[in-house]
Amino acid sequence: MTITTLKAAVELRKVSRQYGAVTALDAVDLTIAPAAFTAIMGPSGSGKSTLLHCAAGLDRATGGDVIIDGVPLGGLSERDLTKLRRERVGFVFQSFNLIPALSAEQNVALPMRLAGRRPDPGQVKAMLAEVGLADRAKHRPSELSGGQQQRVAIARALVSRPAVLFADEPTGALDTKASRDVLRLLRLAVDRHVQTVVMVTHDPYAAAHADRVVFLADGRIADQTEGSVDAAEIAVRMTRLEQR
Amino acid sequence: MSLAFTMVRHRFAAFAGTFVAIALGVALVAGACTLWASSRPQVPERYNSAPVLVHSPTIGKGTDGYPDYRSWTPAEARDKADQLSTVPGVTAAIPDPTFYVQELIKNKATGDPEASRTAGHAYSSAELGGYHLTAGTPPSKPGEVVLRGSTPGGTIDVLTAAGPEHWTVTGTVDGPGFYLSDAAAMEQAGGVRVIGLTGDPQTSAITGLFFTGGDRDKLEDESVTRIRWLGAQLIIAMVTLGVFVAVFVVASTCALSAAQRRREIGLLRAVGATPGQVVRLMYAETLVVAVLGGAVGVPVGALAAPLLASPLVNAGLEPAGFAVTLQPAVLAGAFLLGVVVALAGVWSSARRSSRVPALDALRDAAVERRAMTVPRWIFGLLTAAGGAALTVALPSLPPTTQTTAALFAAMLLLVAAALLAPVVIVPLVRLVTWPWRGGATGMLVREGTLTGVRRVASTAAPVLLTVGFATLLTGTIATIEQATRIDETAKLPAIEVAAPDNTPGLSEAAVAGQPGDAPLRSEMLMTIGGTTSAYQVTGKGDAKGVILSRDLTDRPKRVDVVFRDGTTATLPVTGTHDGPAELADVPRTLLREHDPQALADAVMLNGPAHVEPGMKVLTARQYVTGLVDEEGQIIDLFLLVLISLTVGYTGLAVANTLLMATAGRRTEFRALRLAGGGTGHVLRVTTGEALLAVAAGTLLGGGVAAAALLGMRRATQEELRQSVDLVIPWGQAVPVVLICALVAVVAAGAPVFTRKQSRNGGF
Ligand SMILES: Nc1ncnc2c1ncn2[C@@H]1O[C@H](COP(=O)(O)OP(=O)(O)O)[C@@H](O)[C@H]1O
Ligand SMILES: [Mg+2]
Repeated sequence: MTITTLKAAVELRKVSRQYGAVTALDAVDLTIAPAAFTAIMGPSGSGKSTLLHCAAGLDRATGGDVIIDGVPLGGLSERDLTKLRRERVGFVFQSFNLIPALSAEQNVALPMRLAGRRPDPGQVKAMLAEVGLADRAKHRPSELSGGQQQRVAIARALVSRPAVLFADEPTGALDTKASRDVLRLLRLAVDRHVQTVVMVTHDPYAAAHADRVVFLADGRIADQTEGSVDAAEIAVRMTRLEQR
Repeated sequence: MSLAFTMVRHRFAAFAGTFVAIALGVALVAGACTLWASSRPQVPERYNSAPVLVHSPTIGKGTDGYPDYRSWTPAEARDKADQLSTVPGVTAAIPDPTFYVQELIKNKATGDPEASRTAGHAYSSAELGGYHLTAGTPPSKPGEVVLRGSTPGGTIDVLTAAGPEHWTVTGTVDGPGFYLSDAAAMEQAGGVRVIGLTGDPQTSAITGLFFTGGDRDKLEDESVTRIRWLGAQLIIAMVTLGVFVAVFVVASTCALSAAQRRREIGLLRAVGATPGQVVRLMYAETLVVAVLGGAVGVPVGALAAPLLASPLVNAGLEPAGFAVTLQPAVLAGAFLLGVVVALAGVWSSARRSSRVPALDALRDAAVERRAMTVPRWIFGLLTAAGGAALTVALPSLPPTTQTTAALFAAMLLLVAAALLAPVVIVPLVRLVTWPWRGGATGMLVREGTLTGVRRVASTAAPVLLTVGFATLLTGTIATIEQATRIDETAKLPAIEVAAPDNTPGLSEAAVAGQPGDAPLRSEMLMTIGGTTSAYQVTGKGDAKGVILSRDLTDRPKRVDVVFRDGTTATLPVTGTHDGPAELADVPRTLLREHDPQALADAVMLNGPAHVEPGMKVLTARQYVTGLVDEEGQIIDLFLLVLISLTVGYTGLAVANTLLMATAGRRTEFRALRLAGGGTGHVLRVTTGEALLAVAAGTLLGGGVAAAALLGMRRATQEELRQSVDLVIPWGQAVPVVLICALVAVVAAGAPVFTRKQSRNGGF
């Protein structure tokens, strides 16, 4: 059977999202291929975050279907949706990704504990080592830099081997050096662990790390690139979009 | 669970309010209930050496649910004692007649009036208490007495039911009480209800009603029972209020803390916590805090209880010799109650938190949600209706339950006000801050308060509770007291009254010389419609036979009665009265003959009085006021305790909410500093907001109290058909408001100074 190998990690079919009179997403069709790094770009207010939230099951679409790892979200109860997020989706937000009361390793182990599984300390350690924070396991978020906090958040998102990792401007609040570390980690996850990654960004340099760039404007897909494209090319396309 | 523990440890400040409220509540309940549980009925000391007490027969339960007894006549008692002395193991069977005696010093009655009703005994009964003659000889004829602390050969002036007497002291005994010769004591007492057995009686050979061992506590003196009952009333009120305020404080603390944690909870939801897990986490956190609070509260309560024993005895709320004992079951119960209260307090905010959408993790500021929710409206309106109904019904309730009912009504109304507060706060704040809308501080305070309605409501709630509670409770009681005074005075026919002066009632000699009727008070068994029950009887000069209540449906022509002295008679029923069914009138001389112990309440004078020992002349108003004030003193003490308790507790709540609120708004204040504001500026904003919250709470609490007081006055007026003055207790309300304001300003400002040491994240 070929279906399994071709199965999309995430599929959006005619997905819309209204906020009162505002249409943040307008019947978007989008298929996210597995084991690839997809970037979503677009001007501010174009619906990037909304798209990500709907695709990740954080928010419910007002129209259309979202299918994550073969499971349509439409009929799921809040509880089942939460379980699905816990098992098949990982998240990294722009900031405030960690519970202040918990240490780095406790934060990483949190999804497993919420799933009722005893966290495997070896696995948590290995994950922290992978993001370069093996020596910070016992530190609280308030004792870590912004970049380190984002890396802990990536470790937490990856530890349960989700079907997709979503990141909403993960480098938005970081300096250049820290941004580069975070992007390198995401790229590594795709290359080494066959992880599917979807990242929202407005930074052409960040988007250049992706295998595919999807451009949004006014809640619709306006443009896309396939394969590795350099930052300059992406910047040109962005400018074109913004001037429309 | 371990997650909850980590959360609590990290954010302890956020849980401190809950912790202190629970610790205090548990300490209060543990201490108060230890006192209550320690205050069990005691075997009277004068029965210490009588292992078995044989009691005169019961004739079934009376209308009040307690058994009624008939007395043995002196002859019956002697026969019964003779019969009991043949029971194997009995050394002696001693009838125990008791009677009223008070020592007169300079023609003034001394000692506790209520306890003096049973101060007189027969000499032979001293043995029941294990008391012995230490000097002199036993009393042998009327007019001779032995007692403690007097030297044989001297004399003593006493007051008995008959009047002043002059007794010769023939001996000294090492126990309390006045001991007359057996014949003289029997003469004074009239009937006998207890025969004490000494030795080691074989109980299987005893017929009839008897008590052994700890069961003998059933024979506790009524005066002691009454004192313990009063103490229990205070304890019940304290525990009720304590639990109520604890739930209130915990609930408002939890609600605020949950509002401040929306982002964190959203993050938990985003990374896979189900709504159920969020609820469980919050319960688990509260459980951790409650267990810690209980662990502190239980020992505090257990250690504080013994310290309160002697103040309670001094206040007349526990009998002399009251001792506190360790009550493990009570302590365990208090601990458990703390846990239950905490979980009940967190219930609503846990439910709300579980509905926080995962997306809230992304929103920066805790955007205020709708302050009013549907359940809030429903609960608010229901409690308001309940409280209003109870307040209106207050004057028609029996006086003994009025205080408790007023307490409950106050609680309901104030919970209603706290729940509905957000509705009123917005317009109230607009109104109050109108004059300062121009200045920077004024604008910040105004806008901060308007956007943080829930925060302000949480701060205003405890203030509202305290101010409203203090005003409403004292106002209700003062108004009822005043109304009763007017009502009772209106009923009084005579201008002057001969009243007891530190005595339980007026002796026969005290009333004999007075111009006016002196009804005697006693108790009598009557058989009506086939059932025998005890009736409160009044001996009246003008009664020709028994006068029964109109409420009794099957009034017989003649009625079988048993008097206090144990004699029986069949008396004609000659009339009816309008009073309650358990009251009856009989001819005064007949009652006097069969109850030598009966005393008169007062004489309504219709001419000049002769002053006698144990009697004083008062105007009708003074007399009634005196009666009301006697109750009033106890009630005032109750109020003082209850209000101090509420103020203490809510002071804590105000402090806690404001500390949390200011700490939670650090970023906001940082922005204010960046915009060029100094610490003084920030302080002005926090102070302004705190005072605004106190003002809102005061207005709401005072408004509720005023409305409730007006409603109650209306009802009282209809009941009494005359106008009643509303008593507003400014003396209590104003200090309460000032204390709240002071606590609020300090608590709101304190975190501004400690701000620099804290790191981002928790605090
Ligand atoms: N919770 C919300 N309520 C109302 N409008 C919203 C909400 N979230 C987003 N929007 C609107 O939807 C549109 C898309 O927003 P968003 O997805 O956040 O854009 P982006 O992330 O591309 O900047 C914008 O016009 C925004 O104002
Ligand atoms: Mg966005």
